[in-house]
Amino acid sequence: MSILTIENLRKDYGRVQALRGVSFSVPGGCVFGILGPNGSGKTTLLGIIMDILKPTSGTYKLFDEVPDKTHRRRIGTFLETPNFYHYLSGEKNLAISAAYKQRGAEDIPRVLEMVNLTQRKDSRFSTYSLGMKQRLAIASCLLGDPDVLILDEPTNGLDPVGIAETRELIKKLRQQGKTIIMASHLLDEVEKVCTHVAILKKGELVATGNVDEILANEDIVEIGAMPNTRLEEVAKQMNGYSSMKLNDGHLQLFYPVGTANVENINRHFFEHDIVLNHLQLKKKSLESKFFELTN
Amino acid sequence: MVRLLEIEWLKVKNYAAFTVLGLFFLLGILGANYAVFYTKKNVIDKADPTGLIASASPYDFSHTWQTTSYVSGFLLLLPGLLLILLITNEFTFRTHRQNIIDGINRQDFINVKILMALIAAVVATISVMIVALIFGFASATSFSLDRFESVGYFFLKAISYNMIALLFAVLVRKTGFAIGLFFIYMGFENILSAILQGLSMKFKADYNFDIGNMGDYLPMNASDGLLHFPENTITNMANNSKIMPHDYMLVSFLLALLYLFVFFIWSKNRVIKTDL
Repeated sequence: MSILTIENLRKDYGRVQALRGVSFSVPGGCVFGILGPNGSGKTTLLGIIMDILKPTSGTYKLFDEVPDKTHRRRIGTFLETPNFYHYLSGEKNLAISAAYKQRGAEDIPRVLEMVNLTQRKDSRFSTYSLGMKQRLAIASCLLGDPDVLILDEPTNGLDPVGIAETRELIKKLRQQGKTIIMASHLLDEVEKVCTHVAILKKGELVATGNVDEILANEDIVEIGAMPNTRLEEVAKQMNGYSSMKLNDGHLQLFYPVGTANVENINRHFFEHDIVLNHLQLKKKSLESKFFELTN
Repeated sequence: MVRLLEIEWLKVKNYAAFTVLGLFFLLGILGANYAVFYTKKNVIDKADPTGLIASASPYDFSHTWQTTSYVSGFLLLLPGLLLILLITNEFTFRTHRQNIIDGINRQDFINVKILMALIAAVVATISVMIVALIFGFASATSFSLDRFESVGYFFLKAISYNMIALLFAVLVRKTGFAIGLFFIYMGFENILSAILQGLSMKFKADYNFDIGNMGDYLPMNASDGLLHFPENTITNMANNSKIMPHDYMLVSFLLALLYLFVFFIWSKNRVIKTDL
């Protein structure tokens, strides 16, 4: 069963095209990352799915059905900002959320404990720090133990401990078989927690699929020698690399992650009478991968 | 819908402005009518023993429904203000989005607000009835339902004010702007109404063309125009002089209903069809 299917979704704000015909589907049981730089249309997309925004054209389905409020009740959603009544306590705010969801009222102490807000449950929401507001929003998503969660940049504004805890929580939820749809502009975050990814760029879908395939990483071994005329010829006699290219007088050899053996490479060239004066193992940076995908 | 109202109650019961404005309004109705009652009894009657200004007490049982409705009508700004606060709060806190995300649809969201506007009008009307009874009996007259239709007009005025407040709230969304606009619009309509009344009198005098007081045909003034202070010697003199245009109550009444319908459709469309 597909949790979410979107077809040719478009959203125009006057002349600005926030979404330009995006289609993909989210299978059950996965952690689905929607990745893209700021302004790429992630929140617009999730806003349409939650009936907060009206699409210019296109359709979407939740649980393979035409969506209505009962589907939204089955999904714990945190969209963009923590939205609560400032003058009410954290606990009373959760009671209101539970009343709308028609589930999870008995669950309030448990979710408050999960996000470490039990001690502050009687304080007004307006007195909470940014991180606490964020955690209350995540607690609200967990009310009634929903099978699907939609989290829009859930770690935004959290301190490093909060970020680590949130990622741990997402992993734990995934182990319980829950489906999580998560928007993020942090490639590293998507890579750490997601199984599937859709990459958005200026409202267009650049790529979608398994994280391993889309964000496949490579190790790069950079070698150099003086003179470097025979480098390429000798390198071709090795095996295990996937491709090579000359860059700035150095030769770059690309290997699947974890398979580059620098020692063997060094020995190979030495045995062919080449003494390397430059040998460096580089991990391809995630940022450069991100730029490659979105530029 | 009852469940949604219960949730609205969870939102307002700890909201200080709700308690304060609510109390102000209820005590205001009692206080304003007491002020008129007291002034009539202890000031005007002593200064005017001939009864030229008011032959009968405005709070005896042939007038109390009308007087209380008219006097209390000025306080209907308060429930309007409260509704603007409650609705713009949702936009400020972005909880209008969260409510829908959590599991209601856009229709539910606006319908329960309209229902609240209606309930506020009903509560105001019941308060007016109780106050009218108190001063009616205080005037030592026997119970009668003369001019009880004024209470109905009061209800119409209350729901009109509440709905226009609701409309401004969903159109403008920002608390300060919405309240400002509500007051500015009311001032503007009253000025326009005075100009139109002058024009109506001129038409009648110059061309013998009487289409009633056009000032009473504006959105807020239509329901205002249904409520008057009970007639006395002075108003009778003005009416008999035939300077004033004829008071077409039915036209005002139907226009008030029409405007109400427009506020209703407009505010619903705004919430249902646009981005939130």
